Amino acid sequence: MAQSLDKDTLARAAIGAPGPQRGTLGRRVRNTFTAYGFLGPAMGLVLFFFVIPGILLVVLSLTDLSSANFSDPWTFIGLDNFERLFADPFFPKILRNTVFYVFTTLIFFNLGLALVLALVTTNIPRRSGFFFRLIWLLPRLTPSVVYILMWKRIGQADPFGIYNQLFPEFLGASGGNLFLGGSPWTFVILTNGFVGASFGMIIFTSALESIPKDLITAAKVDGANVWRIIRDIKLPMIKWPLLFIATYQTLSLLTSFEYILLLTEGGPGLFTTEVWALTAYKRAFASYFGNSQWAFGATWAIVLVTVALLLAVIYVKLFKFNELIEEPRIENL
Amino acid sequence: MKRRNMFSRIILLTMALALVAAACGDAEVVTETVIVEVPGDTVVVEVEVPAEGELVTIVARCKSAPPVEDGRCNNLLKGVVAANAQLEADGDPRRVEVQTIQDNADWGDYRVEFELASDAGQAPDIIVSGHEDIGTWATSGIITDVTDLLGNYPEFDDIIPSLWASTELNGQRWGVPQDAEARPLYYRMDLLLELGWTQDEVDSLPARLASGEYTWEDMFDTAEEAVAAGIVDAGNGWWHRPSNGPDFLYYYFAVGGELLDPSGALIYDTAAAQQVYELVGDAVARDILVSTRLDGDWSSWNPAVANGDVLFWFGGSWQWADWAVNYVLEGGEETLFATTGFGPIPALAAGTNTPISLTHPLLYMVSSATEHTDLALLVIAKATTKELNTEYAVASGHLAILTTQADYEPYTSAVFLSQVGSILEFTTFLPNSPFYSAWSEGYYLGITAVESGELDAAAAVDVVVAQLENELGENVIIK
Repeated sequence: MAQSLDKDTLARAAIGAPGPQRGTLGRRVRNTFTAYGFLGPAMGLVLFFFVIPGILLVVLSLTDLSSANFSDPWTFIGLDNFERLFADPFFPKILRNTVFYVFTTLIFFNLGLALVLALVTTNIPRRSGFFFRLIWLLPRLTPSVVYILMWKRIGQADPFGIYNQLFPEFLGASGGNLFLGGSPWTFVILTNGFVGASFGMIIFTSALESIPKDLITAAKVDGANVWRIIRDIKLPMIKWPLLFIATYQTLSLLTSFEYILLLTEGGPGLFTTEVWALTAYKRAFASYFGNSQWAFGATWAIVLVTVALLLAVIYVKLFKFNELIEEPRIENL
Repeated sequence: MKRRNMFSRIILLTMALALVAAACGDAEVVTETVIVEVPGDTVVVEVEVPAEGELVTIVARCKSAPPVEDGRCNNLLKGVVAANAQLEADGDPRRVEVQTIQDNADWGDYRVEFELASDAGQAPDIIVSGHEDIGTWATSGIITDVTDLLGNYPEFDDIIPSLWASTELNGQRWGVPQDAEARPLYYRMDLLLELGWTQDEVDSLPARLASGEYTWEDMFDTAEEAVAAGIVDAGNGWWHRPSNGPDFLYYYFAVGGELLDPSGALIYDTAAAQQVYELVGDAVARDILVSTRLDGDWSSWNPAVANGDVLFWFGGSWQWADWAVNYVLEGGEETLFATTGFGPIPALAAGTNTPISLTHPLLYMVSSATEHTDLALLVIAKATTKELNTEYAVASGHLAILTTQADYEPYTSAVFLSQVGSILEFTTFLPNSPFYSAWSEGYYLGITAVESGELDAAAAVDVVVAQLENELGENVIIK
C-alpha cells in the first residue's frame, strides 16, 4: 500500500521541523550509524596517525632506548628523561627561542604579511592580483631543500653569497657576512615567513572575495576611505579565517624545524636558532658520532605535543570556536 | 592404443633424458655488470654458479665523496672475481655477487640509517663506517664480532698491526680497516713568502713543525701578522673545520687532556678543556678566525682553503684529493703542490709541547643480521689487497693500511701520500666508547660558545660540565 504524505508532513519537511515521534529508536540508531559512518575515516586517520603514535611516544619517553641498546628489550626508567630534560642547561634558551620564532613569524608573516598580500591583491585588477599571488606561492611550491639552498646562496659570506657580495657594507654588515653569520634569526624568520605567508594569503583572499560587494559599495557611497573599509568592514568579516590561521599556523610553526635544520642547524654559536622541534629531532636522529638518544628525543617531542594540545584548547576556548560551528540561527526562524 | 603407449613412453624418456642432461650439463651462468663510475673503468664480471650451488648477494653500504672515494665500495665489487675463484678452488658451490649503495650522506644520517635498517631487519651485509661506531654498534649487537674469523683470510695478515687497535672493544675485533688518514696542518706557501718569509723558512716548515720548534703559538702569531699586513682578510688567518668532527679531540690531547678512564667512563678534564676554549677564543679575539666559522658550511670552506683565501688551516689528507679534483680553480694537484704545504699539527708550547695528529680509520663491518658472514668477510678480504687499496688510497688521499704497500711502487710514487704519511708518527685515535658521542657533543658546545663570543672559557666549562653530568651521569668523570 503506497504511503501518502499528508499536508502536515509536507509542511514539517518544508520548514525542517521534526516529524511525528513514530519509530524514534530506529531512526536514532540509524542516525547514529550514519554519523559515525561519516566520522569513521577521519577518526581512523586520527587514531592511526596521531593517537597511537602519541601513545607510543609516551611509552618510549619512559625508557632509555638509544642506539647502544635498541636490540635489547626496553628498559623503563620512569620519569628520568623528563628530569634530564628540565635539568638541561639549554632548556630555557631553547624554550625562549621557540616562543620568539613562533610568534615573530606568525605575527609578521603568517598573519601580517598574508593579510597585507590578500588585501593588496584583492584591491588591484583581478588578473594582476592572481599573478602576484602566484609569485608569492612560489616559496611553497619549491621543495624545501632547493628553497633553502637558494637562500644560502643569497646569504652566505662574501664572496659566496650573492647579497653579501653585492652589498658588503649595507645595513652595517661587517666582513660581508650579513645574514647567515651576522643575523641568523632574520634569515630563519624570513625563509619560514615567506613560505608561511602564502597559506594565509590564499585563505584571506577567498574570504575577502566572498564579502558581498554591496557592503563595500554602500561604504564608498557613505564616503568611507580604503582604511575605513578595511578596518570596519573587511577585517570584521574575515574574523574567522584570521582566528583559524592564527591557530593553525601557531601549531604548525611550533612543530616545524626543517628549514632551520637546513639553514643553520640551530646555530651558529650556542643554540642561537635552536627550536624545540629541532632539538627533539637532533636528540633522536642527528648526532655526529651516532648513538642516537631515541627515548630522550621522544621526551622532547612529547612535551612539544602536550604544549601544542594545550595551546589548541586555549585557542579554541579563547577564540570561541564553538560559535563558529553552531548552526546558523537564521535557519531556525 | 599401442601407438598412444609408444607416444607416452617417448615423452617420458625425453623428460628423463632432459633431467639427466640438466644434472650433468654446464653450470648456470649469471652475468653481472659492474659499473664503476670512473670513465673507462667499466668492469663486466661473469659469475658461473654450479647447478647445485646458489648465488648469494652481499649488499654493501658506503659513504664516500665522489669520485675520489668511490673505491670504498667499488673495491668490493672488484673483489667479486677473486672471491668466486676462491670459492671454486675451495669446492664451495656458492657464488657471490655484490650490490653496493654508495653516496655522500651526512655522517649522522648515515649512522642512523644503518641502525634503523638493522632494527627493521633490512641491514646491508657490510657497512663502512668510522671505527668509533664500534662503541655503539658492538654494544647494541648489530655488528658481528669477527675476532675468531679473521684468521680464515690470509689477506688480513698484511694489515698494519697498529691499525687493529682501532677495531677493538673489550678485547674483541669488530671490523677490518678499510682506510687510514692523516690530519695535517696545511699552509699557503705563497702567502708566507708574501709575508716576508724566505724560501728556506718556508721549505723548512714541515721539519720545524715535526721537531716542535714551530709551535701553535707561533702559528697564531704568523696568522695575526698576515691579517695585519692585509695578506689575508680578517678572520682568515687560521681555520678549523666548520662543524663538529674528530679534529677537535686532538686540541684536547694537545693540551694534555685525558679521555678514557680504565673503568670505561670518559674523562672531562676541565683544565684542559678550558685551555682549548681559551685557544679558540684567543684566535677570534686576535682576528685570525671568524667568529662564525662553525657554520657547518663545507661548500664555502673548501673553495676558500683550496684557492688561497686562508693562510693556515687544519684539514685531512683525504681533502687534498678532493681539493685537487673538485675545488682548485686551475691546475689541480700541481697547483696545490706549488702553493700548499703541510705538516703535523704544531706543538702547543703551553700544552704537551709535542706535535700531534689524529687518525680515524674507517672499517668494513659485518652486520650481525647477515646470513653470510663468511662470504661478506671473503669479499672484504679480496678487496683488501695492495693493488686495490693503493688505487683507492692514491685517488682519495688516504694512507696505506697494508704493510706491502710500503714498497709498492704505485703507492710510493704518490708524492703526497709518501710525504703526508710521516705525520702518523704523532697520531692519536678517537675512543671506541658508546659515551663518546655525548661527550663530544658537550665538549664541542664549549668550543661553539667561546668562538661565537657568547661565553668566556671558564663559563663554557661550567655549562659543559652541567651538560655532561646531565647527559652521561656516572659515565663521565669530571676532573
